[in-house]
Amino acid sequence: MGGLAVGRDAGVLRTFLGSCIGVALHDRRLRLAGLAHVVLPDSQGRPEDLGKYADTAIPELLRLMKAQAGGEAIRPVAKLAGGARMFAFQTGVVIGEQNLAAVERALEAAGIPVLGRCCGGNKGRRMALDVVSGAVTVEAVGDPPESM
Amino acid sequence: MNDGQRAGLVRLFQTGADAAAVALSRWLGRPASIAVRDVELLPLEAAADLLGAGEEPVCGAGMPIGGALSGILLLVADDAAGLALADLLVGRTIGTGRTWGEVEESATLETANIVGCAYLNAIAAALSAGEPDSAGSIIPLPPTFVREYAPALMEGLLIDQAALSDTVFLTRTEFAIDGAPVRCALVFVPDAPSRARIIDGSVGPASMGEG
Repeated sequence: MGGLAVGRDAGVLRTFLGSCIGVALHDRRLRLAGLAHVVLPDSQGRPEDLGKYADTAIPELLRLMKAQAGGEAIRPVAKLAGGARMFAFQTGVVIGEQNLAAVERALEAAGIPVLGRCCGGNKGRRMALDVVSGAVTVEAVGDPPESM
Repeated sequence: MNDGQRAGLVRLFQTGADAAAVALSRWLGRPASIAVRDVELLPLEAAADLLGAGEEPVCGAGMPIGGALSGILLLVADDAAGLALADLLVGRTIGTGRTWGEVEESATLETANIVGCAYLNAIAAALSAGEPDSAGSIIPLPPTFVREYAPALMEGLLIDQAALSDTVFLTRTEFAIDGAPVRCALVFVPDAPSRARIIDGSVGPASMGEG
């Protein structure tokens, strides 16, 4: 939870998601990918755990991807998953929806288009991002895998 | 949370676990024991992986709790243990049930009701015995069946506390039936107000009248 990962030229980045949002960024030309597991919408100025909050995770993930790009300009696109409300009785908890809205704002501010979303509902998800192709596979227990 | 607080909380939750074991034994018609394994503050990452790395789904029932110790009580097992439990309850040979259907889900929910209510009633009684004015009541609500990847399930349970802190409080108990360990656990995750009361000591040792 709250982790950031970057890969280039090979591999798959994975995470599990409940109410959190998985943010997959991919630059096809550079075969460069990054994955953030956003737990909460707003850091409220906290300087630590940058991957945990939507407003700090996106800039930090971009910084890590730029470092991997070795000075080349990156032009990532985004795909999103997660943000479930896993228990019907959690009526007061809307963190998943707040997380999604905050992630979308942060991506818009960074000028990154969102190409796919697999968000909401009441099921947890397993998200996998192929570093080379940028293909994202999202699985929920009992449902067929979804690709985007 | 200091050692005295933690020891008091272990005693408190073990009181619930003992009562839950008696209820489970009656329900299954077999000897059962339940032991408290964790009563602690854990880093978020460690807590999310508490039930396993998640390549295989886990199943269970989440029971919301209101009142003096509010939060969620989760009865959780791996698929094989959950289906075996359902087999036991409907009088089938263990291994008969291979997929989750209405009967298996219903057996899980009823088990969660019986075990969870016994657990919570004993804890409520222990709290009330120490300091009736502060303990109040614990109100279990009907459980919901879940079948999820373990880390995703834990994340859903922990998100309320994660909004407040990088550490989460939870308790975990483990089961044995007929003297053999069963891959089944009862996990209590307090909501934010209850977490605060547990951490500051207003639920637990002080409420039980000893430190």
